[in-house]
Amino acid sequence: MFAYVIGRLLATIPVMAVVAVFVFFLLRIAPGDPAAIIAGDDATTQDIENIRAKLGLDRPMLEQFALWCWRLMQGDLGISIFSNLPVTQLIAQRLEPTLALTISTLLVAVVLAVPMGVLAAWKARSLADRVVMGFAVMGFAVPVFLAGYILIYVFSIKLGWLPVQGYRPIAQGLWPFVEGLILPSIALGTTYCALIARITRASMLEVLSQDYIRTAESKGLATPRVLLLHALKNSAVPIVTVIGIGIALLISGVVITETVFNIPGLGRLTVDAVLKRDYPIVQGLILVFAAGKVLVNLMIDISYAFLDPRIRY
Amino acid sequence: MPSSIPASGTEAPAAEAPPQGPWTFARRNPTIVIGGLLMLVLVGIALAAPWIAGDPLKLAPVNRLRPPSERFWFGTDQFGRDVYARTVHGARVSLVVGFSVAIAASLIGLAIGLLCGFYRTVDAIAMRIMDGIMAIPSILLAIALITLTRPGLWVVIAAIVIPEIPRIVRLTRSVVLSLRAQPFIEAAIAGGTRTPRLLLRHILPNTLAPLIVQSTYIAASAILTEAGLSFLGVGVPPEIPSWGNIIAQGRSFFLIAPWSILIPGVFLAVMVLGVNMLGDGLRDRLDPRLARRM
Amino acid sequence: MAGDAPLLEVRDLACHFFTLDGVVRAVDGVSLSLARGETLGIVGESGCGKSVTALSILRLIQKGAGRIVGGSVRFEGRELTTLSDEEIKELRGHRISMIFQEPMTSLNPVLTVGVQIAENVVRHTGAGWREAMDRAVEMLRLVRVPDPERRVHDYPHQLSGGMRQRVMIAIALSCDPQLLIADEPTTALDVTIQAQILELMVELKEKTGTAIMMITHDLGVVAETCQRVMVMYAGRKVEEAPVGELFANPLHPYTRGLMRARPRLDEDAEGSGRRPRLQEIPGIVPALNRPIAGCAFAPRCALATDRCRAERPELEERPGGHLVACFEAGKGVP
Repeated sequence: MFAYVIGRLLATIPVMAVVAVFVFFLLRIAPGDPAAIIAGDDATTQDIENIRAKLGLDRPMLEQFALWCWRLMQGDLGISIFSNLPVTQLIAQRLEPTLALTISTLLVAVVLAVPMGVLAAWKARSLADRVVMGFAVMGFAVPVFLAGYILIYVFSIKLGWLPVQGYRPIAQGLWPFVEGLILPSIALGTTYCALIARITRASMLEVLSQDYIRTAESKGLATPRVLLLHALKNSAVPIVTVIGIGIALLISGVVITETVFNIPGLGRLTVDAVLKRDYPIVQGLILVFAAGKVLVNLMIDISYAFLDPRIRY
Repeated sequence: MPSSIPASGTEAPAAEAPPQGPWTFARRNPTIVIGGLLMLVLVGIALAAPWIAGDPLKLAPVNRLRPPSERFWFGTDQFGRDVYARTVHGARVSLVVGFSVAIAASLIGLAIGLLCGFYRTVDAIAMRIMDGIMAIPSILLAIALITLTRPGLWVVIAAIVIPEIPRIVRLTRSVVLSLRAQPFIEAAIAGGTRTPRLLLRHILPNTLAPLIVQSTYIAASAILTEAGLSFLGVGVPPEIPSWGNIIAQGRSFFLIAPWSILIPGVFLAVMVLGVNMLGDGLRDRLDPRLARRM
Repeated sequence: MAGDAPLLEVRDLACHFFTLDGVVRAVDGVSLSLARGETLGIVGESGCGKSVTALSILRLIQKGAGRIVGGSVRFEGRELTTLSDEEIKELRGHRISMIFQEPMTSLNPVLTVGVQIAENVVRHTGAGWREAMDRAVEMLRLVRVPDPERRVHDYPHQLSGGMRQRVMIAIALSCDPQLLIADEPTTALDVTIQAQILELMVELKEKTGTAIMMITHDLGVVAETCQRVMVMYAGRKVEEAPVGELFANPLHPYTRGLMRARPRLDEDAEGSGRRPRLQEIPGIVPALNRPIAGCAFAPRCALATDRCRAERPELEERPGGHLVACFEAGKGVP
């Protein structure tokens, strides 16, 4: 078991290395001259040269790469072109809102989706099942901004129950913090929730048709025990897998959600950086998000060992 | 006819199947039918755009921010442009993006996947690159690529295609690898079949079904991504009406003119729903093995 | 057989599956009875309805498209078909237990075998977990699993097929049931293991006095373990007799066909020194989603008359405690 964990941990290193190399080359293989594009159409040659220097493109390739690796190991993600601040600092400033949003969305989605999926599988082909499936199919098609604007329209504008936008740090109080996150979490989480509900249902359906469930029923065990212990525990691996895969959905959606709800997090930082073409920030964000994704996948991999004894032994 | 040496195995009630007609098909495959119909309608609308809708670019500030009415079915935006016309023309962008991305990603992914399945060195290098691409959230990758190039529709398409390639590569590669282990392939190789023929006759047909299913999902994802990118302002250039653009431009006036956001949004959802349903239906017909996991 | 009331009495049981291709009459009016401590064998090929009959007793059919549409099942005098869900769950694993064909897949892979035995005890006897786990160890010892104190914490994938079936038996017997329903318990096992398991079951039966309903397609299993046997075909019972009587004197053409179809190592066709060809029963089992007029076996029967094809034969009593449903019973070459 210990060996398994160490194995998974070590496996993340090559992936991060590849990401780092990949990001490095991304800038350098883009068609055209990145420095010129970033500088804009009415830049002078001097401007372009300045930017090239800031991007480090004026040095020989090998030197660039060595410098890149060296800096990465120290956690130095470069300097923003337009604000001259270290990218790491900019990211750290905006981290809390995004983290809060992501975690709350994750919680909301899982807490709603898994019971829905279990219910739908248990009462397969009933009305409850059709409702859940309907939600799963439609929820998956609803773009985040549509969900967001509809929610704002209904709950903030017409009903006035919840704030239209903005973010209130937890330091300012628990309720305002939660209040500000409700609508964004629902908007962001709808697609995620639909996906998880669907996979939960499918996985549970497959498990419920297995022989060992028939055995459990032939023992006259109570339904909650059969569903939750016997069935759900066996469905857990695909469900947890899709939770991990869905994180990618969440990250993409975060950028849009923060724009719709005006939350000053990493997503907004991304959009601002892109509009100004402040590439070092975009680059730093890619690395941070990729690292986050790899970390989440690592935790998922490790959880498999706890969920399925066949992996442990 | 032989057999009835008592056989073992699970018991299954024996039955004969009645003949099938088109209504039976519709009843048993509701997803394909509904999804297909939705798509037909949307494609029809998109193709007929120049005739059934007006000019999406026509500015008429005197008509600004009118609610939906007889004259302007979906109302107007802050420049007086007809939202109905813009929405209908926007359908074309979404469809073009959806199809192009699906086809491009499928073809490129198929080619790479096939090579990976057959040539070890290609496999080793390509899969590492795919891992790298997959570790980066797709919208960010698309955004990064767009940042580095001049704006344009094809740039957006390319930027959306690249993050979708790894999924297809993995899919094709796994089909190829599992097929290679099959005895009939070994037999074919031992019999001297050359690789191209092997690919064409044996391997390719088996990859088609899951490939088609996966590419519909990619199309749906691409449509959403393009809308998202345009919404953020980094997608299709603002002169071309894309649903994302329309929604983005309607943001500031959301409180007084919600129709310019809600209506294109609903259209977007319906199109994605249609593509997804088509994909689900195709999957149920073409590749029931995947269906069990969904 | 004892003169007191039977432990289990099934009358005219009918189970139908409602599928897209029509209504499948999997069990079409079956009656049987079982006394305390008796072993009844139910024989027939795949699809004859023997498993469905067994599952219906415990009402395990309701899940999919299947439903009990008629008949009665009385256990210890109680009518099972009308019990509430709670009541039938009380009986399951407690007074009536069941073991299934595939030991590989019948145990939950993510729970230890100890938990799977103990939970049955906890459920039905109100014992605490500690006590129940002790009982689990005891049961493992009873079914002759070596090193039970250690094995009780193992997961199913760590055990062999034969061991898993022993665990299934341990679960089934953990609350001292009156009736054990065994659905093809040895079919999926190697021949040597089969013998061990059957031997174990017979031994346990002597020890505990549990009645066994042994469902199988294998006449050899029946010969070794059962006191009475019934033969099913296409959802109907076609013959029933004490085991010796059935083997010595099979009356129904189907039963005779089954007996003939068994490969025998000792036969020698007319002294030619070669083994005779395997005798097969021509034809296939009828589709069960169309109502069957007359005798279900008629299309394949060499003795079939017009009466057989038009009228459904009822079970008639013959000497020696023998029941058979056939108008031409006993005729023709045995």
